[in-house]
Amino acid sequence: MAEAEGSGEDNSLAGRAAKAVGGVVLEALETDKVGVAADRWAEALRIARDDLGLSFFSWLSAVHWANDPQVGDALSEEVTERFELLCAVSDVTAGELVVFSTDLGASDPTVDSLIGVYPGADWHERECREMFGITFLGHPRPENLYLPNGFVGNPLLKSFPLLSREVKPWPGEVDVEDMPEVTGGG
Amino acid sequence: MTMAPDMVRHLSGAAVSVELETPDMTLNIGPQHPSTHGVLRLVAKVDGERAFDVQPVIGYMHRGYEKLAEVRNYPQITALINRIDWVSGYANEIPFMVAAERLMGVEPPDRAQFIRLILTEMARISSHLIFQASYPLELGAATPLFFALRDRERVLDLIESVTGGRFHPNFNRIGGVKPAVGAGPVTRKTIQDLPAGFLSETRDAMDRVLSTADQLEDLVAGNEIVLARTKEIGVIPPEVAISYGVSGPILRASGVPFDLRKVSNYLPYHLFDFEIPTGENGDCWDRWWIRLEEIRQSASIIRQAVDTIPSGPLQAKVPRIIKVPAGEIYVRAENPKGEMGYYVVSDGGLGPYRLKIRSASFSNISILPWVLEGTLVPDIIAILGSLDFVLGDVDR
Repeated sequence: MAEAEGSGEDNSLAGRAAKAVGGVVLEALETDKVGVAADRWAEALRIARDDLGLSFFSWLSAVHWANDPQVGDALSEEVTERFELLCAVSDVTAGELVVFSTDLGASDPTVDSLIGVYPGADWHERECREMFGITFLGHPRPENLYLPNGFVGNPLLKSFPLLSREVKPWPGEVDVEDMPEVTGGG
Repeated sequence: MTMAPDMVRHLSGAAVSVELETPDMTLNIGPQHPSTHGVLRLVAKVDGERAFDVQPVIGYMHRGYEKLAEVRNYPQITALINRIDWVSGYANEIPFMVAAERLMGVEPPDRAQFIRLILTEMARISSHLIFQASYPLELGAATPLFFALRDRERVLDLIESVTGGRFHPNFNRIGGVKPAVGAGPVTRKTIQDLPAGFLSETRDAMDRVLSTADQLEDLVAGNEIVLARTKEIGVIPPEVAISYGVSGPILRASGVPFDLRKVSNYLPYHLFDFEIPTGENGDCWDRWWIRLEEIRQSASIIRQAVDTIPSGPLQAKVPRIIKVPAGEIYVRAENPKGEMGYYVVSDGGLGPYRLKIRSASFSNISILPWVLEGTLVPDIIAILGSLDFVLGDVDR
């Protein structure tokens, strides 16, 4: 995740958004992505809504960056364990969409709720809370959305095992392992 | 006890005019209920015939696709995402495929893009026809169901003739589309393409879909009961819809002419003429009408596409083993139900490090507590039906 410097000449959507909310442009393919500090999260999204016209709430979710996953492939690079909170907002005329990102620490990730800015963040934050264990301050209904009450653990953590995979190895994996490395069309 | 004549007259009118004290009652609708489109549960506090504080309870269909995607490779994930919104399974595949292709720097050939576009629009027609079948039924009109399902079957037959599947085509490949099933034996020497007669059958089917759309309009739009049950019921103002992330036909019914087919380039929609129908009031009636009009627009797009489909290969050159270079991308598409998108975080491996699935129905029904506040209990069903959600698309 290389960070490009948000220079004053950057007239791209991400550049304008980064300037407006006081963040930095982050690298993503054909996607405007802006990183902001965690303590400015709700404020940045409020500016995005009011000043940039990004009033459409698309989605909110997170990425758990960790090097020792229970399931899936390990990352090729060494990363600091952390949560990257993502929120995509858009306008409803030209379809400009900006993905805002903020880093939360690995232990006790906490951030302000966006419900006051976008009411649609309600369910997305509840999902994020139960799946990643992120606390959203000011959320009026911090209850499980998908998982049954009393469920222990946060399923989308990389440290959370996939029970079916523990019981039985994935048969589809065999195909992948045995195929020779050939480039060019088949 | 004797009563004065005045008093007797007053009491005889009491059934309709007297203010009764009706204490709060909790009404549980679902998770198994004929009019909830699957396992959605609503917990409503009702006071007499009015509902207050309606809380949807979801998660009965939660399959954990975002976790499952982390342990599968890219080609395997196509089979999963078919099943998100199963009423328009084909349309779910497109944004994911486009995301993976862009990360790999692969551009599908024109013919493959046209086939994708035709099948996506067919998925839209079949999804909207399901709505045209079920919505009047929920309001008590059974007849439109037979017209709508008959033509949906025609469209599904066409999808099946190309892909081999009615609901879960699993037809896209990274870099193009799978050689069609109807086109002969699977050998390397045979050039496989669309099944014989597909284009002319599609033209016929679109003619019939258009005439069925007219029939449905005759059947439903003149029905006073339907009008009374839907006009000015469940009004969603545009600014509320936008702030909740409500998209697709529901947003357009509220008067916002926003359609990702016009502003995003995931498929070559810019080559075709079509309109974005919008509603005026954002009520249940507008949401019904928008979906009828979108059937007509989709049929028009398909007609233009079959007339101009270029020849050529169906598949771009891709490595035998799909490895997606490290990077992040968000690709969204106009699904029949609204914005469907995938945020793919790739680490350069065989499968994504993280896949966020943005599904339309999830955001669309998150507005339920807002829109159901203070409505009459029978209107709950009218409003639920008009949002046209699929629980697989809500729960993922």
